[in-house]
Amino acid sequence: MKPSFPKIIAGAAAGLLAFAATAAETVKVGVLHSLSGTMAISETSLKDVLLFTFDEINKKGGVLGKMIEPVVVDPASNWPLFAEKAEQLLVKDKVSVVFGCWTSVSRKSCLPVFEKENGLLFYPVQYEGEELSKNIFYTAEAVNQQAIPPVDYMLSEGKKKFYLLGSDYVYPRTTNKILKKYLKSKGIPDSDIEEIYTPFGHTDYQTIVASIKKFSAGGSACIISTLNGDTNVPFFKEFANAGLTSENCPVVSFSISEDEFRGLPAKQLAGHLGCWTYFMSIKTPENQKFVGDFLSWVKAPKVTGVDYTVSGVDPKGRVTCSPMNLSRMGVYLWKQAVEKAGTFDVDKVRDALTGQKFKGPVCEVTMQANHHLVNDVFIGETLPTGQFKVIKTFKGVAGEPFSEKFLK
Amino acid sequence: MKRLLSFLLYGLLPFASVAATATDPRKVLVQAIAEEDAAKQVDLVKQLASSGDPLVARGLAAWRANELYLLTEADGSKVPVLLGAKADADGKMRAVRLIDAATVADAAGQPRVFRADELTAVDNNSRIRRAIKTTLDLFAITDPVPKLRRAAVVKLGQEQNAEYLPHFIESLRTEAVPDVVKALREAIALTRVSDADPIVRNAAIRELGTMRSVNSIDLLRELEKKAKADPAQFGDGISAALRSAIQDIESYQQWGNLVGTAFRGVSLSAVLLVAALGLAITFGLMGVINMAHGEVMAVGAYTTFFVQGVFGNGLLFSLLGRTVTVKGMGLTGGGFDAYFVVALAASFVTAGLVGLALERGIIRFLYKRPLESLLATWGVSLILQQVFRHTFGSANVQVDAPGFLQGSFVVSDVLFAYNRIFIIAFAGFVVFLTWALLTKTSLGLQIRAVMQNRTMASCVGVRTDRVNMMTFAFGSGLAGMAGACMTQIANVGPGLGQNYIIDCFMVVVLGGVGNLVGTISASGGVGVANQILEPWLGAVLGKITVLTAIILFLQWRPNGLFVTRSRSLDG
Repeated sequence: MKPSFPKIIAGAAAGLLAFAATAAETVKVGVLHSLSGTMAISETSLKDVLLFTFDEINKKGGVLGKMIEPVVVDPASNWPLFAEKAEQLLVKDKVSVVFGCWTSVSRKSCLPVFEKENGLLFYPVQYEGEELSKNIFYTAEAVNQQAIPPVDYMLSEGKKKFYLLGSDYVYPRTTNKILKKYLKSKGIPDSDIEEIYTPFGHTDYQTIVASIKKFSAGGSACIISTLNGDTNVPFFKEFANAGLTSENCPVVSFSISEDEFRGLPAKQLAGHLGCWTYFMSIKTPENQKFVGDFLSWVKAPKVTGVDYTVSGVDPKGRVTCSPMNLSRMGVYLWKQAVEKAGTFDVDKVRDALTGQKFKGPVCEVTMQANHHLVNDVFIGETLPTGQFKVIKTFKGVAGEPFSEKFLK
Repeated sequence: MKRLLSFLLYGLLPFASVAATATDPRKVLVQAIAEEDAAKQVDLVKQLASSGDPLVARGLAAWRANELYLLTEADGSKVPVLLGAKADADGKMRAVRLIDAATVADAAGQPRVFRADELTAVDNNSRIRRAIKTTLDLFAITDPVPKLRRAAVVKLGQEQNAEYLPHFIESLRTEAVPDVVKALREAIALTRVSDADPIVRNAAIRELGTMRSVNSIDLLRELEKKAKADPAQFGDGISAALRSAIQDIESYQQWGNLVGTAFRGVSLSAVLLVAALGLAITFGLMGVINMAHGEVMAVGAYTTFFVQGVFGNGLLFSLLGRTVTVKGMGLTGGGFDAYFVVALAASFVTAGLVGLALERGIIRFLYKRPLESLLATWGVSLILQQVFRHTFGSANVQVDAPGFLQGSFVVSDVLFAYNRIFIIAFAGFVVFLTWALLTKTSLGLQIRAVMQNRTMASCVGVRTDRVNMMTFAFGSGLAGMAGACMTQIANVGPGLGQNYIIDCFMVVVLGGVGNLVGTISASGGVGVANQILEPWLGAVLGKITVLTAIILFLQWRPNGLFVTRSRSLDG
């Protein structure tokens, strides 16, 4: 069929409009996540969800009429490189805001850069607190949002002995230090708290599981695990072989979300607990839309409105998880603050951010003056499918970075 | 006859009427399932403890295992049903109503069949599962299987609930299995520790001491604290009884620890030995600094993953950018478990072939240049890692343990996991295989000849080229089998080799390059030392200490534990 003349005109006009839109002003936004190296498995998902969110926003007209133009850099799981790449984003690319970092050490490495150049960083992954920079907004769960609620839950379930097991680095050590203080304030004596660390990539959990078996012989013990990544597999294998189950000795893991389950045998972890501010399985219309939109986006990834080619998105077996949700909400909070301030100026946006509310997929969050969110906290039980089933909800928990404020 | 019948009828009547007036346990269970409030749900489930109705027991067990389903009836009401054990060709099963044990039928009276995934499973959570477990445990005190009986008794004893005491005493009278008798006595003593009468209490405490009851030590310690704080409440003699009981149990625990540590040390040694034995041949005997050893192990591990896929539900991987689908045989149970035996053989063959190719393609040109062999094999290891990433993805793949390697058994409170025992036995088998090959076959004789003096061996007619090739392939094959073993205790991913390569070199160098006995003793020493140090120093510091000790030892004896003179070392 031959297109009629008016159609051609219309098509040309649409093309011109689209061109105008592309040529229309854009705002540069930095994405600072490792796309290679050890952390790539986790951080690539965050890069994906950020590009997805930019696409969502651009489809609806962008921010202050400007299309979001992503500037994606790869700090390659190399901590000093995070600082260099942050500098590059702020000084050379002159981005308005940066979304990024996973490990605390990477955040701490680029923090001085953000303070020196007066940049803006949104940090989306649960962390140990004890830090507050005027240039960083922590959409992540603070210790009192992720570690304290499950401990309260375990205490209410009649657990009296706590085995704190973690990988040997800053997040587990700081979290456990705070947890020990908290447990002591709840009347748990030192003799009933055990604190053990293993190196990254540790595979021999025989001794630890034997000591857990002894520790939990009375039936009133639980394990708080901050083990990272794939060390969980040998641990849970050994755990199950020793005849320990979620019924006689439950494990609460802080570092395993839906995304990590893609590389873990979920069957062996079934029945144990996780604690996050978001679960993919929560059935709200908003969440179902978010999950559905994201899953169809990964099959044909693009960022509308700007000349940017998306690459490296794996469409197979994708899930959403709490750090991804927090990443996305960070973008929306920033957008709202920019619109409120009417400018991309960092100082004005920062002032406008305090008090911003955003209705996320599972609940409404509020950005507080301390740069942390008020968010709902969920304790979920792991299902053999690698999803979580919510068994307890804490409404509106206000994130507090400094432990002396919530330890009394 | 008639009289007997009427006697039976009249005799049974009172019971029947009692049963009718008491709440029907099935109704209680259905009510519990429908209940929204978690606390009430738990109470209802606990009420069922004394019902003894097998259908209720089945229902509870199914509920706990997520296998109890809600069926929407014609009138819109939802009734809980159990699915039958036998599935037809479509995987559909008959459903049994929980309330009256009736099979669900359609209007014509024909039984209706369902697939499990068509129905919604009744929700459960850890609290309700615990309550169900307690209730089932009370059922289970009379279970025909001794192991289940014992588990139930242990669990209930911990609760120190005086209501259970008559059940225990009743069971103890008829029980014949020693393990269960012990558990029952322990449970009775534990329950009596909370008795109000000090004489009963103190006797129970002493009993626990003489029984070496590990499970009750926490409780006794707590009681000791309380008794110290408030002696008046507990009366005389309790402190002495507690002290001696705790001491008895503690000294028993120390023995258990000793045996446990020894077993764990041997098991870690076996892991190290299995991993290092291939390297002991390629590096130790042949003198090739084989940095690709770890990746050859990973070849074995991925082979195991592949074989598992073929036996199970199939797998997907990409080959040169194309996605390849392998259809699985869909086996379950014992048939599936057999995959592991096949995988062990298959990984020996594939890794052996990879070794063969490596030797023919690269290493044979480098026998006189050990430093270049280091660089070349390191390059090969990087290439292999990328091949794994491109073929199977960069995330770890999952290898399920076959049924016979899951779980553990307990001898006087020391745990022996089946997969660990398997690796110890396997290490023994591999060592035997290597020993037999090297000393009992003509190939072995040739290998030893070539390793000692290549030129001389060549002069007397040994085809040294072929012997090198076979030896390297055999060493690689052993590494492949080690990889297959590692799937049972560690992660299978592109980085698997990197996790083991350092340990392997450490063991071979410490043992003395070129000496199998050295490798065996070194892995034994490192494994046991590690497990002895770990409880004291923690995993991180323990490992550092062992490494430091090895470095110091090598300063003192640079050639390792056992010194062998061989071609490679003589240069």
